[in-house]
Amino acid sequence: MLRPLWLTIATGVSLLGQPVDSKFFEARIRPVLATHCYSCHSAKSKAPMGGLVLDTKDGLAAGGVNGPIVAPGKPAASRLLTALRYADPHLQMPPTGKLAAAVIADFEAWIAAGAVDPRAAAAPGTVTTPLRGMSVEAGRQWWAFQPLTPAAAPPVRQAAWPRKPLDAFVLAKLEAGGFRPSPAADRRTLVRRAYIDLVGFQPTYEEVEAFAADPSPEAWPKLIDKLLALPQYGERWGRHWMDVARYGEDNATAEATNQPYPYAWRYRDWIIEAINRDVPYDRFVKLQLAADLMPDAPRNDWRALGYLGAAPVYHKDQRLSADVIGGFLADDWDERIDAVTRGLLGMTVACARCHDHKFDPIPTKDYYGLAGVFASTARTERPLFAVDPAVEARYLWVQRRLIDLRYSANLLTNEASTVVGSEQRVAKWKAEIETLKSEVLTLQARYPALVASLERYWAPPEPRGAGPRRRGNAASTEPFMNAVYDAAQYVDGTDAHYTFLDYRPGEARDVPVFRNGNVATPGAIVPRHFLSVLARGDNRLGPGSGRRELAERIFTDAAPLAARVMVNRVWGWHFGRPLAATASDFGVQGEAPTHPELLTYLAGEFVAHGWSLKWLNREIMTSSAYQQASRPRPEMMKADPTNALLWRVAPRRMDIEAYRDTLLRASGRLDHTAGGPSQDIDAPENVRRTVYGRVSRNRLSALLKNYDFPDPMQSSGGRDLTTTSLQQLFVLNSQFVQDAAAAIAKAVHDIPTEPRRLRELYRRLLGRDPNPAELDLARRFLAKGTLTEYAHVLLSTNEEILWP
Amino acid sequence: MALARRELLQAAFGLLGNLGVGAAMGHYTGQRTPGKAKRVISLFLAGGPSQVDLFDPKPLLVKYQGQRPGGVELRTERQTGGLMPTPFSFSRRGRNGVEVSDILPRLGAVIDEISVIRSMYSFNPTHTPASSLYHTGTILANRPSIGSWVSYGLGAENQNLPSFVALNANGPAARSAFLPAEHQGMPLNTADLEPEKMIPNLRNRALDAAAQQRQLDAVQALNRRFNESFGPDDYLSGRIASMEAAYRMQFAATDAFDIRKESAETRALYGETPLGNSCLLARRLVERGVRFVSVGSGDWDDHKGIEAAYKKKIPAMDQAAAGLITDLKRRGMLEETLVVWGGEFGRTPVSESGTGRDHNPYGFTMWVAGGGFRGGIAHGATDDFGFKAVESRVSIHDLHATMLYALGLDHTQLTYRYAGRDFRLTDVFGTVVKGVLA
Repeated sequence: MLRPLWLTIATGVSLLGQPVDSKFFEARIRPVLATHCYSCHSAKSKAPMGGLVLDTKDGLAAGGVNGPIVAPGKPAASRLLTALRYADPHLQMPPTGKLAAAVIADFEAWIAAGAVDPRAAAAPGTVTTPLRGMSVEAGRQWWAFQPLTPAAAPPVRQAAWPRKPLDAFVLAKLEAGGFRPSPAADRRTLVRRAYIDLVGFQPTYEEVEAFAADPSPEAWPKLIDKLLALPQYGERWGRHWMDVARYGEDNATAEATNQPYPYAWRYRDWIIEAINRDVPYDRFVKLQLAADLMPDAPRNDWRALGYLGAAPVYHKDQRLSADVIGGFLADDWDERIDAVTRGLLGMTVACARCHDHKFDPIPTKDYYGLAGVFASTARTERPLFAVDPAVEARYLWVQRRLIDLRYSANLLTNEASTVVGSEQRVAKWKAEIETLKSEVLTLQARYPALVASLERYWAPPEPRGAGPRRRGNAASTEPFMNAVYDAAQYVDGTDAHYTFLDYRPGEARDVPVFRNGNVATPGAIVPRHFLSVLARGDNRLGPGSGRRELAERIFTDAAPLAARVMVNRVWGWHFGRPLAATASDFGVQGEAPTHPELLTYLAGEFVAHGWSLKWLNREIMTSSAYQQASRPRPEMMKADPTNALLWRVAPRRMDIEAYRDTLLRASGRLDHTAGGPSQDIDAPENVRRTVYGRVSRNRLSALLKNYDFPDPMQSSGGRDLTTTSLQQLFVLNSQFVQDAAAAIAKAVHDIPTEPRRLRELYRRLLGRDPNPAELDLARRFLAKGTLTEYAHVLLSTNEEILWP
Repeated sequence: MALARRELLQAAFGLLGNLGVGAAMGHYTGQRTPGKAKRVISLFLAGGPSQVDLFDPKPLLVKYQGQRPGGVELRTERQTGGLMPTPFSFSRRGRNGVEVSDILPRLGAVIDEISVIRSMYSFNPTHTPASSLYHTGTILANRPSIGSWVSYGLGAENQNLPSFVALNANGPAARSAFLPAEHQGMPLNTADLEPEKMIPNLRNRALDAAAQQRQLDAVQALNRRFNESFGPDDYLSGRIASMEAAYRMQFAATDAFDIRKESAETRALYGETPLGNSCLLARRLVERGVRFVSVGSGDWDDHKGIEAAYKKKIPAMDQAAAGLITDLKRRGMLEETLVVWGGEFGRTPVSESGTGRDHNPYGFTMWVAGGGFRGGIAHGATDDFGFKAVESRVSIHDLHATMLYALGLDHTQLTYRYAGRDFRLTDVFGTVVKGVLA
């Protein structure tokens, strides 16, 4: 039997009658701390859990990130005791299991008696403090945030080499090391490089020769302009952006509340069209964050909202508790914060979800200041056509509500009948569905498409075997788009057994700091605001969700950073390696740029030229740096094997999109149809450009995965190009490659003589004529093998897949 | 003996020790733990097997049948009724008398090789997030699986085969997320036992071996000429090597993935069921140097009619899992191979719809055999009814940490830098459970 608590308090004597003094601490408290707590809460560890250190007197007295854990004399107010007692489901220590009641009673007695800690106080200066990142004030001096004050182009000795100001920055670095740039690439290499770079496939033989035959200095800029004007340019550069935007057409799972996105393809098409129109980068991004809130954005541009509206989300099973659902909802916001801050700002703000950023100047409250923006932004399917705003607002709410009601009603109807009160619940929900249905039907005359889009939520469930069900991943061409609108999201936990999401259109929501990232331990509410280290003046976001203001801030307060991040990515897409190697992390832990002045210069020019991507492409490609040869130079391979100094254009293999599209084009089968719903990339009959292949977060095509396609669950900081045997199995054996070989062989089959057939084969596949030795090799092969087999040989070669 | 056998096999399949390209290299740079295990076979019973019917006897369920005494008011996915005793009897098996359900006679017979962990717990009562947690250590769908981490940390033993294979296991079980693509689980469906049907692009349907060799020779001749004229380049020479490796993989994999080459006795040992075949294939693969094989098994989500369902499907599982342990043991491979068995959670001791059991993340059983784990023990305990783990609780992170430890890896030091920080399989959690290690 436990004695009443007051007794131990009154006497300062433990349950066993032992005085609660230093000896008591040494005998009954310290050993327990040592055995059960030090492994996570030690001053010796670099990052003690929760910032809590228990093996020093000061640590125990100071507590952790959530404040003190012991209130001497007040056991009831001591979180240490709460944790030991397992009283709070979210604060249970030690995590390996509750300690014996007698041990907990010892702690209670010890705290009641004043929590005597006889250990020596640490000598001044040796107190360990939890690892802390840069302060906001210090952070304002960080290189990446500095204004884009143009640095004068540095002086160079080889004055004839620079064609563009950027070249001087490159050359100065090389000369400082005592190095020289590589000679210019030959014209056939250049034209090949430009095609793969700008339109994503190799040039034909005729295209190569036309360029090689034009000696005028204007031929190169003319070629670049020609390629920039082709619709295939948007397909190529749109795909780069899709890596950053973690474009996908479904979710990691496909359950009732996180169904595939039937209109994601419209977002992809918008990206491609916008890149082709050279929509200025600042506007391009603002439309993706807030098109619906921009008065000058035509509704057709709202397709851009797929950036948020087709983002990865988790299933929220309504049978789960409010805390669990709240956690999933917070994971959704976290996904948005991560995509926006790493993708657009090169900042890893998501690291500050549970604690202040350990390296960068990002306090946790800044994280929750952004979380509020996404807590006030709801995913939805919006009509492509104009709708009376009041009607649309109501429609969007009804749509979400119907999804939840229908899902819940089905869940309970199909479930075993042991559930208490299930009939009443189902009846209530079905009645609400009927009410909403009658309301929606009044729109039939004005907006039949709106009504049609909701019918599935009140139609009786199809009996099993009633014919093909609508396939989960099937895209739709109905006039809608996956987008967002301003609505605050709350978790409605009023029914102990069913948790609903509560959408409040037009409202905004500030969220609390969730201590240690745990929704069940909310702290102070944080107003929606922009990152402190970047903000100038009042940094609050609103009055609505704050999406529009967030987008504006990125291109005002944070413009230097946003420009640097994008210019760095673009540089990486051209050269294979960005100037700052960690393209999505410009923080303390990221890699510093190899050419910081160049990055600043080019970012400044990018802004000065109206954030024009095509201007930037042209500026980079007409530089001498870009036109260097790619061949290895022994002395430079030794001095700078990673080409950090840009002494050449490093060769690389084509990515999967360029390789696949090149094979299709060489075999005369490439279907250039632009836009529309995606198709299965692994189906051999699919001969459209790879960018129009389905991108599934659930089952990503094995081909794409094998070729280092980035995980569409998260914003990509650049692709790592690996070389694996599974890739070569595709080249050696796949139906796709065999079909390409057969089509090419067929196309040259009727050419009269073998040398001419072989020449044509070389021209179509490698864009050049074979030399005599190669003709000889081919002839010897054809003594036993077929022309199709030889076409297969050529398109398996290193030369074919190399991006020189 | 085991080593000699493996060397023999590697010689037979043309392992090139210094090839170094196209095969996963080990990236672990931390301190090695004393763990000696080299590879893992993970049996994942998707849906969640029931601990109180298989490994965690609870006689009090009979006494309180149909009632809901204090302590069972834990919220699970669905509403539940009173306590439901198991229809199966339990017996003490092995040298330490570990209690095992009599519906598992074969696993009972090899219990001395098995560390039964009765105090597992998880954090989520729904399949998808719980499965993700089981495989990747987090409910988020964007982190690498343990198989990818092990492949990343240890690399491939056999350069002619992938280092991580996922049999009938998709999604989080095979996910490499931000780890390099070569560490993803190669996903295979074992419904068809013919390797060429199992593995896409494994063989060329149009060309015979001689024609293909001719073709490869021609490709490589052109590649070498091109490389010479271009100059030394890692990618270009790497691709030549990986082309050779792919060519050899066709034959190595055709053999490695073909369980029809096993003796009739061996096939019968596993039972020629889908799970038995997968387990046998898993053994064949680890024998040839695959690091991690994840084996998924059907539908263990018995919300109703659990007795009838178990009578029907447990014997095949029992035979497959026990066959795997027996076979590994007799080949001398068990000491270096971890066999892990479990589901994303367990099932409730209370009934759902009178004949089934709901999901139970509060307490459940998993077991590990071989790889330096102590056999013939039951570690930890659930409460009186088998609902919640109460004694020596083991989280998924703890188990992951312990598995990595057994593989010689310190879970706090197996990291990958991504998105601004060093990620770990165990995130900021995980304690090695020394009690289950020999």
